[in-house]
Amino acid sequence: MDTVWSKLDRKSTAIAEFTMRQYRQRISTWVILASATFTIMLMLLFYVDAMNSEFESIDNDGDSFDDDGDGYPNGQEILEGTNPHSADSFPDWVEPDPPEKWINEDDFDWDSLEIGENSVGFDDDGDCKIKDTPSQRDSNSNNVECDIRINLDPANSTFLVEGDIGVDEDPDEDKYGKEASHRAFILGIGKFGIVYLLGIFLPLFLATGLIRDEITDGTIHYILAKPISRGEVLLYRMIGYIGITWPFIIGLCLFLSIITGIFGPGEDAFRWSDIGIWMSIAFAAMLVSLVYGVIFCGFGILWKNGVILALIFATWELGMAFVSIFSGGESAVRYFSVIGWGLTVVDAGTLIFWPDNFLLIEKGLWGGGHAFEVNSFFDMEVGYEPLPGAEPLQGFSSNPGLGLSNWLSMLTSSMVLIFQGIIAWYIGQTIFKGKEVD
Amino acid sequence: MIPDMTQTGKPEKEAPSSSNSAPVVMFDRVSKSYGRITALTSVSLGISGGVTGILGMNGAGKSTFFKLMMGKIRPSSGTIRLFGEDPWKNTAPYSRIGFVPEHEKLHDWMTAFDFVTTFARLHGLTRSEAEKEATRVLKFVSLDDVMHKQIGQFSKGMRQRVKIAHALVNDPELIVLDEPLQGCDPLARTTIMNVIKELGAMGRTVLVSSHILGEIERITEQIVILHRGRILALGNSHAIREMLDQHPHKIVLQCQNPREIAKHIIDVGQVTGMAFVDSDKLILETNNLGDVHAKLPKLIVDSGFTVTGIDNPDDDLQSILKYLTGGSI
Repeated sequence: MDTVWSKLDRKSTAIAEFTMRQYRQRISTWVILASATFTIMLMLLFYVDAMNSEFESIDNDGDSFDDDGDGYPNGQEILEGTNPHSADSFPDWVEPDPPEKWINEDDFDWDSLEIGENSVGFDDDGDCKIKDTPSQRDSNSNNVECDIRINLDPANSTFLVEGDIGVDEDPDEDKYGKEASHRAFILGIGKFGIVYLLGIFLPLFLATGLIRDEITDGTIHYILAKPISRGEVLLYRMIGYIGITWPFIIGLCLFLSIITGIFGPGEDAFRWSDIGIWMSIAFAAMLVSLVYGVIFCGFGILWKNGVILALIFATWELGMAFVSIFSGGESAVRYFSVIGWGLTVVDAGTLIFWPDNFLLIEKGLWGGGHAFEVNSFFDMEVGYEPLPGAEPLQGFSSNPGLGLSNWLSMLTSSMVLIFQGIIAWYIGQTIFKGKEVD
Repeated sequence: MIPDMTQTGKPEKEAPSSSNSAPVVMFDRVSKSYGRITALTSVSLGISGGVTGILGMNGAGKSTFFKLMMGKIRPSSGTIRLFGEDPWKNTAPYSRIGFVPEHEKLHDWMTAFDFVTTFARLHGLTRSEAEKEATRVLKFVSLDDVMHKQIGQFSKGMRQRVKIAHALVNDPELIVLDEPLQGCDPLARTTIMNVIKELGAMGRTVLVSSHILGEIERITEQIVILHRGRILALGNSHAIREMLDQHPHKIVLQCQNPREIAKHIIDVGQVTGMAFVDSDKLILETNNLGDVHAKLPKLIVDSGFTVTGIDNPDDDLQSILKYLTGGSI
């Protein structure tokens, strides 16, 4: 039976289908999609290259050296209780270790962190336990010898790391560097390349002329002479637009998730944990491209050179993208934009699917507390040097900053984006309804 | 000339009536300006039933009239009603209308069948209903044999027929055609004229615009003449023509012996003057074109000379406008 709804459904599918066919037959559509794919593929090459190269292993605590030339590495001598600085003192009851055994020998042991005070870490190579006095073995003064003190305060987004000297001080640079670079790449290309660039590039070329071109060509008269309101025309044209852009975004993210899943570090053949991140990125890009699409289409209706307005808007959004990405979620200005909310979706997704991401960053920034010791006036502090990949990962990771749980942050930011889209549509259809079509 | 608000055409069949007794199309003191330029000035008329020709030179306001009627543009003042509704605010009347825009551009990548089907679905038809209707209307405009070809391959006349077909797919009560014959070859013109006449015969209200008097006269007797945004004349074309016949007209006879023929014609009372141009043209002047034309064939036959052509150079829209406006067009 024919109802208002079934007729509406027929009209919407007719316009959406027509719009998609129109896109498909235009060469420009394919050029735009191919350019976007090519750019992303180019970035992917750098990623594959990085995953196939090795990060240099550094002997942070210097115990692979044989200072006294007796054939035993310093670390082995310390562990066995002989003097590493005397050629006459060496553990002749064991065979000398190859020096490389004493590189990256004291990796992170930071499992099961809880909110508040934590005592983690393990002195794998025994260079802390062997120290003479309790105060030397407890240089972080938390009354636990040879540990790492971690204070986790998510409410204030603080993460304090104080290690006893000689604990987890020689982590595996290659293992860490690959994991951190892998994640930094996904977040970097995802947030900037896909959510921002693709999210704004596709609507700029595909949505700005969605109604404007029909008005310029005069073909809009065929649609407007039908019993269908202009607001509906705009809505159904947008459905056609997302019918092209959304599958493209999903397809691209799926492809990238397969590539990073295969080439990414890890013992398993495929990194399933990254799929969730890629889906968060795809979801954010879909919402962002929809909101931008409606806004840019409205600009096109408002003015035949609406692309100029779109470019001005894109510049503002670029600024907001930088603020969002590099403020670490601290700046609230980003909420006065579309991209700010889009990137919040990814930030929330990051914490949902990589719950250890901040821990990984802090590990890398702490870097083992190695390299050099700074003598201040009153006591001794440990200078930290970040591990490879830690700083880029920190750069691309942000806190959603909404003070909500991760799922709620994702839901809230998605709802805000949908709301922005509805407002943009309402304004767009108001402009369209008031426009005289000559 | 004062527009007749009750003026209606003469449908051969009872036209489907609108929901009330108001005219299908009603303009009440409608004006439209673009900045300082006035495109339409205080136009008032009502149209219901039959084929009505909207005549006017380029820039007379025909397209503005249609755009206002179809709610594409908003009137600067006055009221427009389409089936009793304001077309600028309400799209509901469009379900009872078929509109053929003046714009030449079509979606060339589509086939005629796709084009008509797609836009039929905007009337709320299902896909299969739309396909069935598309086949019907494309057959009506004689495009059924090429309906699966891309519109881009079509001639101008065929493209016009596709536009007409798409406008008929909802079986409209009112069909509006903006310059449907423009740029078409003679064969296409005849085909399109026949389609329009047939639609009128089917009882539809048809509005068709043109700037060529002869074209409109071949389609309908009911005309509205627009000039500089105003209605200059409105009513039956015969009445207008009769009125026109009262003003000085020229008749040009193409013949080999103009002076000999002139001897035979000079006795006709209504001929007020004669002139000889070149060696093969006789120009007659008259204030009663109809009467002279009625007598001329017999006189020529009686003279025994051959006349190869008779032309009325004053019988075009421009001359009519000149007469109606007192010479200032």
